[in-house]
Amino acid sequence: MKTLIKLEENPEVLIVSNVTSFLNPTFVYVPTLNYEIKSDTKFFKDTYLKDNIISVSGYLEGIEEKIYDNKLTKVYKIHNDYKEHSLKKLKKVKIKDILELQKLLEENYLTYLSNKLKGHCKELVVTCFDEEIYEMNEFMCLYNNYKDIIKMLDLLRSLLNLDVAYMAIKNTNAKSIKKVRSILGTYPNLKLVLLPDKYLMSSKENICDYLNLKEEDTFVFQTAEIYMMATLKEGKFLDHKYITVSGDALKKSLIIDTKLGVSLKEIVEEFLKIKACEYTIYYNGYLKGEEVLGDDLIVTKDTISIVFKRKEDAEEECINCGACNKICPQNINVLKCFKEDLKSKRCLNCGLCNYVCPANIKLKERIKDDQ
Amino acid sequence: MKKRNVKNLVSLNLILLVPFLIYGLYKNGYLIYMKGLISGYMLFKPLYLTLISFVIKGVVDLFIYKKVKIDYNLVYLTLVSLIMPYNINLLIYGITLFITYILTLFLSKHFKFNRVCFMYLILILVSFLFNDLSFLNPMEAKYTFSFSAIDILMGRSVGGISSTSIILSLLVFSYYTFNFYYKKDIPLFINLTYLLLTFIYFLFTKDNNFMINSEVIFGSVFVATLPMFSPGKRIFQILYGILIGLLTFALLFITGKIISIYLAIFITSLLENVKIRQKRPKFDKITPLSK
Repeated sequence: MKTLIKLEENPEVLIVSNVTSFLNPTFVYVPTLNYEIKSDTKFFKDTYLKDNIISVSGYLEGIEEKIYDNKLTKVYKIHNDYKEHSLKKLKKVKIKDILELQKLLEENYLTYLSNKLKGHCKELVVTCFDEEIYEMNEFMCLYNNYKDIIKMLDLLRSLLNLDVAYMAIKNTNAKSIKKVRSILGTYPNLKLVLLPDKYLMSSKENICDYLNLKEEDTFVFQTAEIYMMATLKEGKFLDHKYITVSGDALKKSLIIDTKLGVSLKEIVEEFLKIKACEYTIYYNGYLKGEEVLGDDLIVTKDTISIVFKRKEDAEEECINCGACNKICPQNINVLKCFKEDLKSKRCLNCGLCNYVCPANIKLKERIKDDQ
Repeated sequence: MKKRNVKNLVSLNLILLVPFLIYGLYKNGYLIYMKGLISGYMLFKPLYLTLISFVIKGVVDLFIYKKVKIDYNLVYLTLVSLIMPYNINLLIYGITLFITYILTLFLSKHFKFNRVCFMYLILILVSFLFNDLSFLNPMEAKYTFSFSAIDILMGRSVGGISSTSIILSLLVFSYYTFNFYYKKDIPLFINLTYLLLTFIYFLFTKDNNFMINSEVIFGSVFVATLPMFSPGKRIFQILYGILIGLLTFALLFITGKIISIYLAIFITSLLENVKIRQKRPKFDKITPLSK
């Protein structure tokens, strides 16, 4: 394991540490189906269109082109009728029924979970760790739902017949630690671990290394995933999620509890003020994320954060400082890859090479092998 | 860890060179002036050299880019001004530096070489041909000194106009070791190799004249580590350092103790042009972009 580093955040970016709710949007957007649907068709809340949940009930207003999962996609524009009409009222589901739910929802993490139920999991770790700078979703998720999350974790632990399950929290999240400690006494089989605030600390490899656990026997979940399981157990769909909208181009940065399928434009108009004239939007993190063209972006289940970064200086000529080589956690010869136009499959997409490059060269995009 | 850009790195480099300039003004200005060996005008000679470098950089930038840029060229030219011999003629310095700077700007697009050393060596050659090259300042030329080790560490030895302070070089190096972008292995291995060889030489000849060499320390800390002209990978940095150390020692007997380090750096930096053909890989998972 390479020495991990703490990234310095821009002191201008202060994320307001409470959640702003945006659960009644005027419009939500879902990708279109292969066949035509009449206008004014009624959509019900909690129904699935392909893999995408419709988070409100309402009427089809038209078809538009929006950036969905960072790709330009045709989407249905659904006008919210604020009635929250739901077609499927699920009964309460027990944890053993989760496999049926999996078929129903086709969620990746449930497949993962089912494998785990069948498999040979010997260690279970839940991490509450926002490793990207300008992100606080995990922190906020635990802070607001710590009771449900801890209860669900203990359930999973007992289901897997484990003696102990770990709850790993970033040691700077004093508020969450305090909340978790207040009820952890009633769960003697859960162990609280405080992780140092360093970039990439929450990766499975580093956590196992830190806790002295075997990687192949350990399953690592994030708090948001456990919260999703807890919600499903209660027979509810998770049609909203926390996203962090932050960056030095904004007057204030917020954690927003928003419905899925909401347009970023609407969020910006409602809550945010952009102070910089020229800025770049990063989807899902400043380091790991990708640049987005335009703010016609839709919040999906995979959206974690949106960063509005003041436009950085243009790329300069490489000064051959070797910082990219020094920082790469995979020991890739980034400099060689960059100079000889090579791509590496070992790239983790961590973005550290971009971060340290004094010449502002987008190294990650050049060396990462997308295949 | 804070994100840095080229301007930050250049500014830091320049700031760290300021104490050397101040020491140069003291040693090769104030002290000689107080002895009445130079006029008031020559009191600021080290500063004039640096200012001439800045002017050349500004003029060339204005001509090429239409604006003055803060880039590594500024560091190169400043470094050249600090390692010049005392008796260099300001006019010769200005004209030669201007020509060699433009020449290196052009040549660096085709070859890799340490531009600071190249400009320095050309200036030394020109000074040798037209200006009676000498590293002694008027006081050193007039009197004979017997320096103690402390004197040499403080910078009283003969050398570049502002580069003789070993204490300052060591302080800067210790500060730089905490800097993520600094290639600290290079000066470390240059000095280790050099010290080891001079120590062995001392054991055989009882001549310790070469052991403490301010130019080797200054050159290794500032000139050899310039990012553009030194390897990016750690293992090559170590090899680069060892090679410079070896060459410096070997050249001591040809060029003398002041110029040898710069000539060694220049020769070693030329090796960057030789591409080492690797059989294939360590980088087994790297595929060419075209695929």
